[in-house]
Amino acid sequence: MTIKLNSKVTYLFKKREFGIFLFILILLAVFGTLEPRFFRSDNLSAILSSVGILMVVGAGQTLVIVTRNIDLSVGSTLGMAAMVMGMVARENPDFPIFGLIVIAMIVGGLCGLLNGLLVSYGKIPAIIATLGTLAIIRGAVFLVSDNVQIDPNDVPQGIINLATTSPIGIPWLLIFAFLSIILVWYVSSKTLLGKRIYAVGSNPEGAISRGLSFNKITIMVFVFVGVLAGLGGVLYTARYATINPADVGRGLEFDVISAVVIGGTNIFGGSGTALGTALGCILIGILSNGLTVVGVSPFWKACATGFLILAAVAIDNSVRKRQEQNFLLAIRNQRTVK
Amino acid sequence: MIYGSLGSEYFLDPSSIIFNTGRYIEIGLLALALTFVIINGDIDLSVASTLAASAGVLAKLFESGVPIFWCCVASIFTGLVLGLINGLIVIKLGLPSLVVTLATLALYRGLTQVILGDGVVANYPENFVGFDQRLVIGGNPGLPAPLALFIVAAIIFYYILHRSNYGLKNIMSGSNPSSSNFSGISVNRVRLLAFALSGTVAGICAVMITSRLGSTISNVGLGLELLAITAVVLGGTDIFGGRGAISGTVVALFAIMAVREALVIQDINGQVQDAAIGLLLILTVLVPQIRSYYVEKRNRRKRFNEAQSRT
Repeated sequence: MTIKLNSKVTYLFKKREFGIFLFILILLAVFGTLEPRFFRSDNLSAILSSVGILMVVGAGQTLVIVTRNIDLSVGSTLGMAAMVMGMVARENPDFPIFGLIVIAMIVGGLCGLLNGLLVSYGKIPAIIATLGTLAIIRGAVFLVSDNVQIDPNDVPQGIINLATTSPIGIPWLLIFAFLSIILVWYVSSKTLLGKRIYAVGSNPEGAISRGLSFNKITIMVFVFVGVLAGLGGVLYTARYATINPADVGRGLEFDVISAVVIGGTNIFGGSGTALGTALGCILIGILSNGLTVVGVSPFWKACATGFLILAAVAIDNSVRKRQEQNFLLAIRNQRTVK
Repeated sequence: MIYGSLGSEYFLDPSSIIFNTGRYIEIGLLALALTFVIINGDIDLSVASTLAASAGVLAKLFESGVPIFWCCVASIFTGLVLGLINGLIVIKLGLPSLVVTLATLALYRGLTQVILGDGVVANYPENFVGFDQRLVIGGNPGLPAPLALFIVAAIIFYYILHRSNYGLKNIMSGSNPSSSNFSGISVNRVRLLAFALSGTVAGICAVMITSRLGSTISNVGLGLELLAITAVVLGGTDIFGGRGAISGTVVALFAIMAVREALVIQDINGQVQDAAIGLLLILTVLVPQIRSYYVEKRNRRKRFNEAQSRT
């Protein structure tokens, strides 16, 4: 009995997500004791809404990174979707809210499709292709909007309400965030498609030789992250109400990729979980808000994020190395016993 | 180029061409050094932040009364140290350079912000600022100092990459690290040197950019890494390593310069200029792919026809 309990506890401790969870608790305790205002409900809801936007996009980015790709253009895609949606709403004030959300997701999906086609059929490395589309889509936002921003009174109240109201006491923004994390968790751990995505990521040649369509899966994950970035655009509009062509979603890719990497997704593909990404997003949200609230100069935020990424990958790497060694040792021991 | 010259009669004026180069020389130098890193199969996303941190050190030392010459030396030294830190983390911990330099991109930029705060450091001595306005060879159009420096640097880097022992090792360790290791090349030392080189060059660029702008703020050089990497990839260096040439990077830099200046003259928004560069980047990789696809298709059909006629 004790052995069983023991193994369960060590299993929990070995879980990577548990480490991030502990770190989040420590951060909460530190910020809370330094500055009691940190736990005030308006501050917590500010953290949650910025974390929500990160989570929606991060959920999609996890699958992209699992397939050994990377999408640097998510910030621009989010901006494009928000801008198109805002312009539709400005021209037709009576457009249904649901329709606006669908439009944003379709625009995001189209940007994702462009990325997916370039990476799969165009055979351009994802980092190059999306570095290009990062600039191209941002330029397109300017051309589409004619460099005119969408003002808060042009955004329908229904969209703004997504960030604050909801049927069951949790804002829609967070419901969308949880739904996208749960969707990615479900797809990656319960469906055949998820198995295929991980197979393509951990061994592309092997996956292709077993008859998986590399191109189809690549396009699928890019469209998926595009659609979620489009949804992120809706949530961004809900939260900030203003859509400025230069500002909307700028630099988001850095926060999203940091959250995914801190959440334990291997940048070389093949492993990563939705739960880890969700915790990574929460960690980054708490860190950037907490530093400001505690009164540390916001300039330290970039330092802290950089340091966190380094620490996360370094720990990951040493754990992985030890696991590999243990595995090899176990094989050797088996042989000697025989 | 044609588009640009239609836009303004000044576009092809030699003095305008030569004087516009000043702004791109920092990108060019960074791209030259990055060529080595990328040929190794690594990447250094943190060059612009390294540049900023070096410029921050320069500004802070100058403010506290250190002579400007020693400030410059310290700036270049800072670049070297930061580059070495990148390299050591990548090599000693065995981490992917993409993630490490993404982290140091934030880390070094944050350090700069901590060093400089919101402030602006200006009032550099007269004989230090305006480096880009000085002529090495007088006359009209003349040869401005940054362009001269770039030409010299390009020639030196050309010799290092294509004529020296180190360059050969660099290309070999990029194309096949494990077999290079077995044939007695210390791949890790080659990679470390490339990172140190890119850091040092970022330090030199920090001095140049400070001299050109005459002031230092914490977001100096923000986003330069994208342009520098674009120049390297545009120049035909394989992002996965093992292949690349200095001449390609140089030509690509001038292509970027031509596109940007043509759009500037047409008074087109900066974001759209970036979009044009992005399009250029994708097309340069995509077009050869499409070509090879059609060539292969034609060859296949030819073989098919030959086989048909034989039977």
